[in-house]
Amino acid sequence: MIEVCRASLVYSDHGRDVFACREIDLEVRDGEFLGILGPSGSGKSSLLYLMSALKQPTSGEVRYQGRSLQAMSETERARLRLREFGFVFQYPYLLGYLSALENVVVACPGENRRDEAAGLLDSLGLGAKSHRLPHELSGGEKQRVCIARALLGGRACVFADEPTANLDHANGVAVVETLIDHRGKGGLVVVTHDPTMLERADRTVRIMDGRVVEAP
Amino acid sequence: MIVLAVMLIAGIVSIMNSIPLSIRTTYGYSQNYLGLTPRGNNAMTPVIRGVVEAESPVPLGPVMVCRASDMEVKSIVGPWRFIVLGLEQDDMPVYLDRLGGARRIDGRWPAPGRPEAIVSEPVARNLGLKLGDVMLSPDRPDSYSAQEVRVVGIAQMEPWMAIVPVEYHRANHFPPIDVLVVMAKDRADQDRLDRWAFDRFQGMQARVFAFFRLERETDEMFVILYSILNVVIGMLVIVITLMMAMLMNIYQSQRLQEFGLLQALGYTREWLLGRVLAETALVVVGGWIAGIGVAFGLLNVVRAVLMEPRAFMLDPQDPVAYVYTVPVPIAIFVASALTVVLRFRRFDPVGVVERRLV
Ligand SMILES: Nc1ncnc2c1ncn2[C@@H]1O[C@H](COP(=O)(O)OP(=O)(O)OP(=O)(O)O)[C@@H](O)[C@H]1O
Ligand SMILES: [Mg+2]
Repeated sequence: MIEVCRASLVYSDHGRDVFACREIDLEVRDGEFLGILGPSGSGKSSLLYLMSALKQPTSGEVRYQGRSLQAMSETERARLRLREFGFVFQYPYLLGYLSALENVVVACPGENRRDEAAGLLDSLGLGAKSHRLPHELSGGEKQRVCIARALLGGRACVFADEPTANLDHANGVAVVETLIDHRGKGGLVVVTHDPTMLERADRTVRIMDGRVVEAP
Repeated sequence: MIVLAVMLIAGIVSIMNSIPLSIRTTYGYSQNYLGLTPRGNNAMTPVIRGVVEAESPVPLGPVMVCRASDMEVKSIVGPWRFIVLGLEQDDMPVYLDRLGGARRIDGRWPAPGRPEAIVSEPVARNLGLKLGDVMLSPDRPDSYSAQEVRVVGIAQMEPWMAIVPVEYHRANHFPPIDVLVVMAKDRADQDRLDRWAFDRFQGMQARVFAFFRLERETDEMFVILYSILNVVIGMLVIVITLMMAMLMNIYQSQRLQEFGLLQALGYTREWLLGRVLAETALVVVGGWIAGIGVAFGLLNVVRAVLMEPRAFMLDPQDPVAYVYTVPVPIAIFVASALTVVLRFRRFDPVGVVERRLV
């Protein structure tokens, strides 16, 4: 479904090139749960941004269903993020002036998905708290709202960037379980540095220094 | 901010404009006739009269021989001189009719030769005069008469005027010069007659008082004042615009994280930009309308409380005042839009979302 072909991502750090990803080859297959493991600074987030059309590779290519993401216009990529992909950021980032429910609905502008959003929140155990503002929710609850936002509308692939980093182990496992249970038929890519989160993964790859060091 | 700026500018301009408006109103009576006085030689009066009657380009109406002196009236910019006419008994009603006529006369006409006056209602209001009050007096250097001249009649009419009997005026007032009040038969011809007289008596021992001269002098006087006003308002607009643009910039910076998140979720840059600009436009236009509303209300209050009781003129609907405020919303919108567009151009949604705790 998503193919990463010899993709590199280079940041410029005061004129010096920093390789976040070096010629990575990787594939996410239809409906699979792919785990990405690696230490801090190894380029896990960067790889996820490349796959989810949030960033463009410096060289190489990323294809979604056979189409090159770089060949698309910015608007097409935005549309892809809006309709096909769901993204759970490392920090549970919500809009402070919107209720939990409205924060979920934001993911599908112009569509009436309040009922679906309410159902998602309900199944995530937040049914009674969907009217609350973000500052009235705990970190774990916010994270679950973010997950509902990433899932709303049914996504071909959901990406989660260390969704468990701020949570204790039990909550972390619960979050991953939730993602697995609610992704429907879509693919799921979870980045973490904690292998125990990936026990149910179909495959796990390990990256180090911007390279895939251990492919299954 | 916008409300305040719009209010301030509309207020300043309206009050400024009230000065020429007051001049035109206070001295508006002179639209109705041509005033001619000899210069340095009292014997000129009959000569001037002869010239006018023989050469006038338009059919003439009444020509009155009268006396004129002045008194003090109040204005927002301090005391102004206002004409006190000494008229023949028979001329008084004719003169009033020429000014548009009175709806009603409270009291009576001044009696021949008596120290009595009839004034129009705005003059009475301006000076706070009621029937029986003293208008001119030996104790008042600026509104002097040898005897106390009391108001015996108040004419309910818009134009300003103050009339005393010519006999009293001759006996007690300076200058001892017979003045001509020349009326065109048809009011529409008055301006033509005025302009003709101005040219005809150029260089002669005669002085011409005509409304078009008053207009021209007022305009000349205010050209300088208005250029200063333009500079002041221009600076005000620049300062307020800069401050507003800064505020907008801070406000939009706070929302940059929101935009970053929305963009990461798949909202397009154009959509977000459109939304920001629409919001800005709404704020700016709303502020402008509110400012106009507040200014209008405030000017009405000022007029009712401060201006009307003294017969000062103020037009809260002065379109010029509101036109002057138009640059405020436009400048603020343009400045805010520019800062936002510039920010959007170098803007990485991922960076914003990642560094959200900064
Ligand atoms: N905007 C940037 N400019 C310069 N260098 C960057 C930038 N973003 C990331 N890097 C560098 O790229 C490398 C990979 O970063 P990335 O965020 O992908 O790592 P990560 O594996 O997600 O780490 P963590 O587990 O701490 O989130 C790091 O060495 C980092 O310092
Ligand atoms: Mg990371």
